Amino acid sequence: MLNIDKLQASVDDKPILNGVDLKVDAGEVHAIMGPNGSGKSTLAHILAGRDGYTVTGGTVNFEGEDLLALAPEERARRGVFLALQYPVELPGVNNMVFMKTALNAVRAARGEAALDAVGFMKLVRERLGLLQMDERFLKRNVNAGFSGGEKKRNEILQMAVLEPKLAILDETDSGLDIDALRLVADGVNALRSPERAMIVVTHYQRLLDFIRPDFVHVLAGGRIVRSGDRTLALELEEKGYGWLEQEDAA
Amino acid sequence: MNTAAAASLESYRDSLARIQPQLTGASQPWLAQQRREAAASLQQLGFPQRRQEAWRYTSVDRLLQQAFVPAGNDLPEIDLDAFVLPQLDAHRAVFVNGRFVAGLSSLEALPAGVTVGSLKQQIERNPIVPAKWLGQAAGVPLHAFSAMNTAAIDDGLIIHVAQGRKLERPIEVLHLTTAPTDAVVAQSRNLLLLEAGAQATLIERFTSPDASLYFNNSLSEVILQDDAELEHIRLQEESPAAFHLHSLFINQYERSRYRNTGFALGGAWSRTELNIDFLGPAAAAELDGLYVTGDQQLTDTHIDICHSVPGCQSHTNYKGLLHGRGRAVFDGRIEVKPHASKTDAHLHNANLLLSRNAEVDTKPQLEIYADDVKCSHGTTVGQLDPAQLFYLRSRGIDAPEARRLLCLGFAGEILDRCRIAPLRERVRAAVAALLAQAATAVEGE
Repeated sequence: MLNIDKLQASVDDKPILNGVDLKVDAGEVHAIMGPNGSGKSTLAHILAGRDGYTVTGGTVNFEGEDLLALAPEERARRGVFLALQYPVELPGVNNMVFMKTALNAVRAARGEAALDAVGFMKLVRERLGLLQMDERFLKRNVNAGFSGGEKKRNEILQMAVLEPKLAILDETDSGLDIDALRLVADGVNALRSPERAMIVVTHYQRLLDFIRPDFVHVLAGGRIVRSGDRTLALELEEKGYGWLEQEDAA
Repeated sequence: MNTAAAASLESYRDSLARIQPQLTGASQPWLAQQRREAAASLQQLGFPQRRQEAWRYTSVDRLLQQAFVPAGNDLPEIDLDAFVLPQLDAHRAVFVNGRFVAGLSSLEALPAGVTVGSLKQQIERNPIVPAKWLGQAAGVPLHAFSAMNTAAIDDGLIIHVAQGRKLERPIEVLHLTTAPTDAVVAQSRNLLLLEAGAQATLIERFTSPDASLYFNNSLSEVILQDDAELEHIRLQEESPAAFHLHSLFINQYERSRYRNTGFALGGAWSRTELNIDFLGPAAAAELDGLYVTGDQQLTDTHIDICHSVPGCQSHTNYKGLLHGRGRAVFDGRIEVKPHASKTDAHLHNANLLLSRNAEVDTKPQLEIYADDVKCSHGTTVGQLDPAQLFYLRSRGIDAPEARRLLCLGFAGEILDRCRIAPLRERVRAAVAALLAQAATAVEGE
């Protein structure tokens, strides 16, 4: 599904990614871990098409297409979804209007008919139930005045509504207490499916207790320095990121 | 004064001298005197100049280059259906070129103790209220346009709600102006008196059946006696060629409440002047406004709130969306006089510039001469936030639609202040249409 090949990128002429290689297939959950400043969020943002990064080398192929050539909305319409570390507040923009507009844009791209208000409500109610969220979320303005936990859950709700092929969760655990974390993780787990791939970006192993990944990669110095299964995350938890750096130096 | 201004001044003065003897109530000394004095002050005031602070960012040159003639008595045919909001259940008064048109109005269901209609007819039939109140709130003309309006007082809206009367349904007033042949100046003079404890909702819509060139020079005086409450919604959708000036003078007595929600969408050149004077303690005014201004448009808002007695509240929140080469001016001033302790006064103006060529001059002012007050003022001028745009696009929404949602979100805070749902949705749709037009213009560049 996703094939990242020797991806290099910089911000303001400062190299951040120095040749990232990653293959993700449908149904797989990949965790990307790494110390602060290793380029985890940069990678997530580049995949979603955020401005401010210059790709200086390498390619990203998503289902046979050059992902980097597409505008952010085109990527979303093809099934790429980024749950942001810091979901943006949109004062005055109603959450339901926002999600309905987004869903209908995505549906149009899939060749599906637009949902009317009734059809949308039916679908969103069902997804709210799946995530154990209540309808109040819909009446509020997008993320405006939401708590940290509410913002993250609203991201997961959008994911549940848009049904992406590839979901990238950028530090979804940051700023959450254990109860909020469990709620968010339960939501993510409810959305795991054989057709859907997920990339879970996190600094801490903790999230991976709740969202069990199939693969764990460690990003350091702008490259994936180690890949493995879930035991790699546990090893990191025990020894810290310094362990890998020392090993690399050896 | 430049030659165009001098020539206009002379022509306006001459036409006023010609029409004054023919105006309603010319034989009533109180009215004749007001008109004469105003006409006399016209020469002395002259037309506003850019060196005057209140006109620093607003040139009247374009206006003075036009040869406007006073609107005549022959009124063009109007297809009212084009203007009626089907969902809006209201008493309706219709004015065309400043003149009341009974045939288009529906005021039959007004309750006892409530007068809504023509100032002209009121002066002819029973001038007690006009004789007592006309000119009281407006005072001596501040500028030539007010002087012109007063010098030619003839017709306009009168609303009089007797003590303790409460109107259930809103009053909708359509001010239609059209100039199919010669460019005209229409000058409605409006007088609203809510006696003690009276309550009403007034919706004023300024619009035109066509794209004609005219100058709508309106002046309104609003008197809210003790405990009176007026909800006042103004929707300015004048023709794209029109000049629109509306000066409002609001006098508020003890514990009265005034809410004004203004939407300025149309016109080539428009200026709203809101003057609030608190004459009794514990009164409150809430002023909210939204202007959407694009190519070939200037939208000017002047707010002057005078707290001269203790314990009054004024909350002002204006927002502007500017696109194309749109220009806006916001000049809001709060003055808290000595002894006006416990004043609670806040004024804020936020602007969103959607193009590089749009311009806004915003100037909030706060002058406090009393102790123990809570006051604030502020202004912002910004652009759409790239992080917000990315967020919407990352969910599959294309850039023009993302911009539209964000702009409507920005405007939403003011739109939501309008409690009359059919009108609110009508304005929301109009704002959306203007934004869509602006977006198409951007793509065409």
